[in-house]
Amino acid sequence: MELNYTPEQQAFRAEVRAWMAANVPSQSLKTLEGREGFDQHVLWERKLASGNWGMVTWPEAYGGRGLDLIQWLIFEEEYWAAGAPNRANQNGIFLLGPTIIEYGTDEQKARFLTPMAHGEIMWAQAWSEPDAGSDMAAIRSRAVRDGDHYVINGQKTWSSRAAFADWCFGLFRTDGESSRHHGLTFILLPLDTPGVTVRPIRQLHGETGFAEIFFDDVRVPVENRLADEGEGWKVAMATAGFERGLMLRSPARFQATAKRLVQLYDQHSQTASPQARDAVLQAWMDAEAYALNTYSVAAQVMAGRKIGAEASLNKIFWSEMDRAQHRAAMSLLGAAAELRTLDDGEANAWLEGYIFSLSGPIYAGSNEIQRNIVAERLLGLPR
Amino acid sequence: MDFRLTQDQLELQNAVRDYLTAEHDAALLRRLDAGDSRDPAIWDGLVDMGLTGILVPEDCGGLGLGLVEAALVAIELGRANVSEPLADTALIAAPLTSAEQQSEIATGKLKVALAHNVNPWIADLDQAGLVLGGTHTESATPLESVDPLRRLFASDETSGSDDLLDRAALITAAQLLGISEHILSLATDYANQRVQFGQPIGKFQAIKHHLASVAVKIEFARPVLLRAAYALENNHGRAALHISHAKVATTDAAMLAGETAIQVHGAMGYTYEVDLHFWMKRAWALAGAWGDRAFHIRRIEAGVFTGALETNHSNIFSKE
Ligand SMILES: Cc1cc2nc3c(=O)[nH]c(=O)nc-3n(C[C@H](O)[C@H](O)[C@H](O)COP(=O)(O)OP(=O)(O)OC[C@H]3O[C@@H](n4cnc5c(N)ncnc54)[C@H](O)[C@@H]3O)c2cc1C
Repeated sequence: MELNYTPEQQAFRAEVRAWMAANVPSQSLKTLEGREGFDQHVLWERKLASGNWGMVTWPEAYGGRGLDLIQWLIFEEEYWAAGAPNRANQNGIFLLGPTIIEYGTDEQKARFLTPMAHGEIMWAQAWSEPDAGSDMAAIRSRAVRDGDHYVINGQKTWSSRAAFADWCFGLFRTDGESSRHHGLTFILLPLDTPGVTVRPIRQLHGETGFAEIFFDDVRVPVENRLADEGEGWKVAMATAGFERGLMLRSPARFQATAKRLVQLYDQHSQTASPQARDAVLQAWMDAEAYALNTYSVAAQVMAGRKIGAEASLNKIFWSEMDRAQHRAAMSLLGAAAELRTLDDGEANAWLEGYIFSLSGPIYAGSNEIQRNIVAERLLGLPR
Repeated sequence: MDFRLTQDQLELQNAVRDYLTAEHDAALLRRLDAGDSRDPAIWDGLVDMGLTGILVPEDCGGLGLGLVEAALVAIELGRANVSEPLADTALIAAPLTSAEQQSEIATGKLKVALAHNVNPWIADLDQAGLVLGGTHTESATPLESVDPLRRLFASDETSGSDDLLDRAALITAAQLLGISEHILSLATDYANQRVQFGQPIGKFQAIKHHLASVAVKIEFARPVLLRAAYALENNHGRAALHISHAKVATTDAAMLAGETAIQVHGAMGYTYEVDLHFWMKRAWALAGAWGDRAFHIRRIEAGVFTGALETNHSNIFSKE
């Protein structure tokens, strides 16, 4: 165990910090879940890319910096500490990108990763269907081979930011005789392909942050398939691992929230209940615990270990922590908690954050599903 | 930056675990419970394993290891529910004693009891050749703990230091982690084996989810403990805060594990017949020992709310 940053790591931190200080927008952007805010966030993605910060862990050949996971954690720490915006392309860079690195051909890597790192193409994830939520193996949308194309018909739903995104990565049934997790294929396509209709859905906060996607004889070239036909489930499980595991929710985000929560408490300490005080401390402790655990897992991954079902422990922890952090803030705000704009004229980010945190235990595989996975695959209880 | 345990550390922990699994099982706990709860043969076995010398420098006859190793051993003492005063003597007190006393600790001759004003008792006072933070009185009144294998004595005047408290809280937290892990495995085994409605109860989702929640608590307490051990070993300025965090996190894990395990066991869990109770009661005892939750929360608050500590993330490993 060596819990020290090397001089190189410290120098890297200083470099990120300096760049963020000079470039993070001084005014907070509008919400990522609406059109105007999304566009602002895309500009920020391009700004990041201009500094070559799009996705630091990717190979240099694909717009990355070839850095390791510790450097990635340092990058994230400085990123969130600087108050930088949410990542508009999180589906691309954190989910699809690593999946392409694992399963893509060299040609696909060159074609998709570089524009992703450069913030040029925004991605949406098209997996869930009206009858395939937690039970994703119930997917029915079909992709039928026709020469060097697939012809797609069916419907996806809950696709985050699909109303604003350029491309989607979906899971479709290519084998009409198959059932459950067999016969599924992972296919990438532009959302402006003829036959695709995107219908936005208003979310709890009122913005159209996710959408339904309808496919009506949509023709997609076979080279847009990731891995072999029928391998879609395996590929999707790798993506889901990135989603639940290290990448999607790096600890620094929650540490930044915990820090703001402590500041909020200091402003409200005269009126705060003892319960709120405890909740703030718990939020602070949990954010530290999550960070420490991530450093521990990162070290093991760097040494060659694969993380499997352990990612479910992570997903349960960060999503429940996020909700508890924001609930604590809501209770500190008291009667002001319901206001969409606070005294300082800024949007009530705690309220927005609380609303968003309520989706954490649902998306990326609900926490009930994660607890099943922990019990069956880590503890060895019967299925 | 590398949060992995070294090969040597892993081997040490495994060796202690293997030894205790073989030599210190639940049947032994029952035998101790039927007698006076201590057995010189157990102590001699621990001495032969070299465990009394973990923190004692090599030139005093010890292994010269550090607090990360001590914490790993303490995790195993918790897992096996060891009641001999090994943790107090060798993992907590040793570095606070003279060179001569350390040699005697390494050879197993000297047992040390610990006194501090956070505790209303002193454990294993009767066998101790040295009392840190207190005095040896022949007439100390025995106190009965809910944990049948603890031997406690009333304490009055104590002068235990902050350093003693930090070391003891750290090693206690480590034991609580081992206890939590063992309780989870007892409950999981039981859930796999007990049949109701024609199936193992572990197939019921309610049972699965209870146990999964315990696994989450444990998973996120472990690195907090290891960081605390590392920070104290390396004299980091925030070591005391990190230790308090570790004590709170492991206490919460152990309490949740105990309550969950009893529920999973049904009425069996409410008996003296099932082994579970030994670990659960040790968890209750250690939860309050060396600063209870409220005590440690206050220490964390003092760091977090006063701004005395910059709660910035780049310094979760800060030396200051
Ligand atoms: C904000 C948000 C963003 C999303 N973004 C995307 C996206 O970009 N792309 C995409 O494809 N999908 C996305 N989703 C969909 C998400 O993946 C699903 O909501 C999730 O998988 C759960 O499916 P469901 O909503 O149909 O709920 P259901 O599956 O209907 O579940 C309802 C309840 O039943 C429980 N339940 C279901 N099955 C079990 C079981 N076996 N055991 C115990 N309990 C069970 C669930 O845990 C849940 O509490 C998003 C969802 C949200 C909320």
